Amino acid sequence: MLRLEDVSVRFGGLTAVNTVSLSVGTHEVVGLVGPNGAGKTTLFNAVSGLVKPSSGRILFDSVDMLRAPLHKRARMGIGRTFQIPQPMHELTVRENLVVAQRFGTGAVDKDRIDEVLEFTNLAAKAHRNAATELALTELKALEVAKALATQPKLLMLDEVLAGLETNGKRRFMAMLKALHEKFAVGILIIEHDIETISNLCHRVAVLNFGELIADGTPDEVFRDPEVMKSYTGASHA
Amino acid sequence: MYVSKTGFAVIAAAYVAVPLLLGSNSYVMSLIVAAMIIGGIALAWALLGNLGGMVSFGHSAFFGVGAYVSALLTMKAGLPVLAAMLLGGVGAVVASLAMLPVLRLKGPYFALAILAYAHIFKILATEWSSVTGGSGGLASVPRLPELAGFDLSSKTGSYLVILTLLLAFIAIYRAIRSSHYGLALRAMHDSEDATRVVGVNSTLLKALMLFVSAFMTGVVGAFNVHYINFLEPDYAFSGLWVTLPIVAAIFGGYRTILGPLVGAVTVYLVDQLIFKNLIPSGHQLVLGALLVGMIIFSPGGLVPLLRKALGKISGAGKDNVAQRAREESC
Repeated sequence: MLRLEDVSVRFGGLTAVNTVSLSVGTHEVVGLVGPNGAGKTTLFNAVSGLVKPSSGRILFDSVDMLRAPLHKRARMGIGRTFQIPQPMHELTVRENLVVAQRFGTGAVDKDRIDEVLEFTNLAAKAHRNAATELALTELKALEVAKALATQPKLLMLDEVLAGLETNGKRRFMAMLKALHEKFAVGILIIEHDIETISNLCHRVAVLNFGELIADGTPDEVFRDPEVMKSYTGASHA
Repeated sequence: MYVSKTGFAVIAAAYVAVPLLLGSNSYVMSLIVAAMIIGGIALAWALLGNLGGMVSFGHSAFFGVGAYVSALLTMKAGLPVLAAMLLGGVGAVVASLAMLPVLRLKGPYFALAILAYAHIFKILATEWSSVTGGSGGLASVPRLPELAGFDLSSKTGSYLVILTLLLAFIAIYRAIRSSHYGLALRAMHDSEDATRVVGVNSTLLKALMLFVSAFMTGVVGAFNVHYINFLEPDYAFSGLWVTLPIVAAIFGGYRTILGPLVGAVTVYLVDQLIFKNLIPSGHQLVLGALLVGMIIFSPGGLVPLLRKALGKISGAGKDNVAQRAREESC
């Protein structure tokens, strides 16, 4: 469904992403891991259209997306969340989803919004202000809910579990698993926690200094000494 | 469209009571019409700022283009005045097309770029003298017509025309704000990337707001030219056509629909009827002081301040829901 071919993103002299090739199949869950600054979020930005790759191709359902503007990519079925939640400030939780659905799919379907609210445990907060009246877990859930409201084929989750306490994390994980089944989406998820990734993903890709250093099943990847070296530092290798 | 009882009463008073009580005083009527012209631009300016998130110093361009287009269409093509006024608005929209490239600029950069455009149009009007009459201007621009035996070019007639235009603008503004587009525009304020990644074409929405704002300002400019029957570049593109509306909008509350109109009428009438008599030269100084005071004590402007005061009188917190609904609607 999503295929990156030799994608590079350079900011001036800095190469944030270096000739990365990666794919996510329909209904597949792929983890994207790597140390801070490895280029994971930049890769997300390249796919969703916030930054332009310096070279390489990004194909979604076999369509080259180099020229597709941000909003078109959303309509084609690419949904994403932000690491730091970005609720639409002046709106209620429900209005956030109405905007996402109306502009992401072209129509408003109230039942589907209710369904998403219910699913992401936000129904009780539907009429609260999205920026000022939500706890962190709820803000993270709203990120997912907004993306879901656009009826994506691919959901890109940028550290949605980061900062949550253990129980919250567990509940969120369960929600992500259920979501994958219920809404039949492919998922590309950035996450640091190895256990979470192993539990959730069919496949893991590892970025280090902008380069893809491993791509395989969680078992294979997390047994790779080079991966562990980049991940935990040399002493643990 | 929902109109509250108070709103209905105000509209009725504006159509009936004002002409009956003040219609014979042509000085006061001319001040009211002038205030409403400022109010119309202020409303259009505030729409662009409130919904589109753009601060413009260049609305005099739309005002001037609207005036010239309408004047020329009536004088050279013989079009009826009322139709030409609407086409004046269309002309301003066409002029705003030239501004699309600067729509990507943010904050002060957009404000300055659009100011430059205003100057370009003024130079065009001055230099393209075969069409516009150059700096000599256009004299005897056709007056507002008679409608069903009623002379619209009279002070009261002109007042009713601009009143009707303003009410139409309010209706358009409300319709946009309560639509899904309005929701997306509000969402774009602080979180533009977040709205774009869910499929909102933010550039298109901003462009649409620019068109609507330009259209309204152009129509007001066109109304004004048929009201005063004379036009020249320095007047049509004068910076006053944007600074006064900005003062009015901010004074009244630019994030509300009624704020700019209330601000324009208050500021202009208070200035002309009171301060001008007290301090014949330099009376605008008081306006500046009033504006600064307003920004310090009620940054939201006069209308939010009045609402708060009225809310206190009618029982604190008694009908918060109704209050909220009212704020949403006007």
